[in-house]
Amino acid sequence: MTDFMPLDRRSMLERALLLVGASAAASVSPAAFAKAAGSKPTLAPAAFTLLSAVADTIVPRTHTPGAIDARVPAKLDALLVTWASPEHRVSITGALTAIDEMARSNGGKGFAALTPEQRKELLVAHDIAALKAVPRKEALTGIEALMGKAAVADPGYAKLKELIVILYYYSQEALTTELNYEHSPGGWTPSIKVTPETRADGGLSAF
Amino acid sequence: MFDAIVVGSGMSGGISAKELCERGLKVLVIERGRKLVHGESYTDMVQPWDEPNAGMVPEEDLARHYMIQKNSFISGTTKQYWVKDDENPYSYPEGKPFYWIRGYHLGGRSIMWGRQSYRLSPQDFEANAKDGHGSDWPIRYDDLAPWYSHVEKFIGVSGSQEGLPQLPDGEFLPPFGLNDAELQFKAAVEKAFPGRKVIPGRTANLSKAQPHHEELGRSSCQARSFCDRGCTYGAYHSSLSSSLPAADRTGNLTIVTDAIVHSLVHDPKSGRVTGVRVIDANTKAGKTYEAKVVFLNASTIGTAQILLNSKSDAMPRGLANSSDMVGRNLMDHLFALSVAGFMPNAPKDSYYHGRRPNGIYIPRFRNVTEPGDFLRGYGYQGGLTRLGWRTAALTSPGIGAELKERTHKLGPWLSFVSGFGEMLPNPENRVTLSKTKVDKWGIPLVEVNCSHGPNELKMAKQIIEDGKAMIQAAGGFVVNAATEPGVPGLGIHEMGTACMGKDPKNSVLNKYNKAHDVPNLFITDGAAMASSGCQNPSLTYMALSARAAHHATEFLKAGVI
Repeated sequence: MTDFMPLDRRSMLERALLLVGASAAASVSPAAFAKAAGSKPTLAPAAFTLLSAVADTIVPRTHTPGAIDARVPAKLDALLVTWASPEHRVSITGALTAIDEMARSNGGKGFAALTPEQRKELLVAHDIAALKAVPRKEALTGIEALMGKAAVADPGYAKLKELIVILYYYSQEALTTELNYEHSPGGWTPSIKVTPETRADGGLSAF
Repeated sequence: MFDAIVVGSGMSGGISAKELCERGLKVLVIERGRKLVHGESYTDMVQPWDEPNAGMVPEEDLARHYMIQKNSFISGTTKQYWVKDDENPYSYPEGKPFYWIRGYHLGGRSIMWGRQSYRLSPQDFEANAKDGHGSDWPIRYDDLAPWYSHVEKFIGVSGSQEGLPQLPDGEFLPPFGLNDAELQFKAAVEKAFPGRKVIPGRTANLSKAQPHHEELGRSSCQARSFCDRGCTYGAYHSSLSSSLPAADRTGNLTIVTDAIVHSLVHDPKSGRVTGVRVIDANTKAGKTYEAKVVFLNASTIGTAQILLNSKSDAMPRGLANSSDMVGRNLMDHLFALSVAGFMPNAPKDSYYHGRRPNGIYIPRFRNVTEPGDFLRGYGYQGGLTRLGWRTAALTSPGIGAELKERTHKLGPWLSFVSGFGEMLPNPENRVTLSKTKVDKWGIPLVEVNCSHGPNELKMAKQIIEDGKAMIQAAGGFVVNAATEPGVPGLGIHEMGTACMGKDPKNSVLNKYNKAHDVPNLFITDGAAMASSGCQNPSLTYMALSARAAHHATEFLKAGVI
């Protein structure tokens, strides 16, 4: 019988980072963005780098893997082809372009060329403005009445962010470090005590 | 020739086949959809990170193929179970939608069902007689009670014994327990509204598999909540995990798939059906199967379509339709009447483990323990859950490390209750066949004309008000509430198009689920329902199927059919 040394959470996270090829929990460079693409992306190189910069800013590497570690840009790039309608493709890429134009109008540099701190400062403000609730044009009915999302100022950005977040939290990297995930919990226990180590469950989630 | 043909392999067809096979009959099951294999055809083992398109259905597929189904529970991991609407058209009048939610494959909608399993009550079987809507049920609760028990034991239903007259207890496996917030909610609601009860949902998931389940290769629920993908553990009842394997082990079962029933063959001399005409879904070749007895379990609308398309000189309005009730009285439960609220007083130091395939149930109280200014009543399904990563990450602005930090924390408790209301049988809510349009197999298209009436709309308003009041009584504040019921059909509880009744003039089936007009034709799917109750109906379909199979076999043995 083999005894396994118990791992503390920090050690587990470090091992997980090693598994995804991280050498340090630092910000990711544009060069790394290109590398993260894997197979040839659909987006043009500049657009893919921009997408990577946005994804990295929304879900950066911290003491756990970030969006780049989880190959979110490559997955989102694929979604633009395999999932998105033409309308969403335009609005998502339009949202990316708008972020880049904002960066250029601020200081002449594209978003991907900014420092991580500058990217974050710009995107924090944009995030607040873009997700501002606005009156809905049509009333929701049926299941949508319960599940429907609030209408926001910039639906394209909202969808872009949503996809980045979903792809990240659906990734093996996030589900083994950020959230708790068991594909087969084995049974239902209706009451457990919350501890400092308790984390939200990942995977299937209606809410 | 077979002893019996069962048309349809879903919830009721599976049980009809099992019960007939176990009584020694040679049975042919005809399924219009493709073959699925238990376990092999499922997607329950797909890890989240391996789900194509992050579990989403491509948007152009939704627009092109799933115009109706997209309004229901379709997802990237289950889309193979839902029909493509463009390939299976039907119609409804402009501005009067009915969403027909379907799955065409072996096992039918028993693969994707919600598994909630409740008995109708004595009050439900007496409702039509009492208020005059619909045909008086030709049976009462006591006639069906032993068959409810029979089916519950076989399929495995978890639940709690409550002693409520409006929701009779059954043969239950241990309940999936309420979490701490639900227990608090239960105490508050039952204190504020004496007569209302908050109980664990009764669900056909094996909380603890019994030996007779394990003999069929089934095992206990693993609390994954991937039920709608199909369960390789066989932990919830479906035709594939449970009834068809039981039928098959008798050696009496034959199944044909990809065989679309065009009509039944009726012999005007004997007055009996002699066979079933099918069209091969792929080659479009026609074929007729013969049997001594036919069970129609093609689902409520499908069954009506077959009957109406089986018209002959002897039965010009359609088979078994001397009453003109075939296709009429279409019902569905009022659905999507949901209220959600945050529960700031719920226990912050409590959580749960596992994804329970179930929730809470609030049995009917209007016109039971409390008055209502409408006929009949409603129950609620729901639950209290801690908000998860999706809400934490996406419902308010924020990016970066802060987003990650808030997302991996447990969220606040959310309560939601969703009413299921009884729809009155109304002969004007009906299914007819197009006189001009046919599908690609040459079968006339279904036309559905169905809407909610004044009683339903009055009830819907009260459902929302009561839902809000219960959440508020438990210390919550409502954050979202529906304003009107979902489109009819969305409850996926279609019923009533070949109703049971005492009088052949206003009903299609007698107390044995046998057609008044055709002595060897039995119908035991949702079409048979004379009223809908407010309880999820599949358990009743299965109990009616088992009971009818018993009587059909006895009639065959006695030579009376």
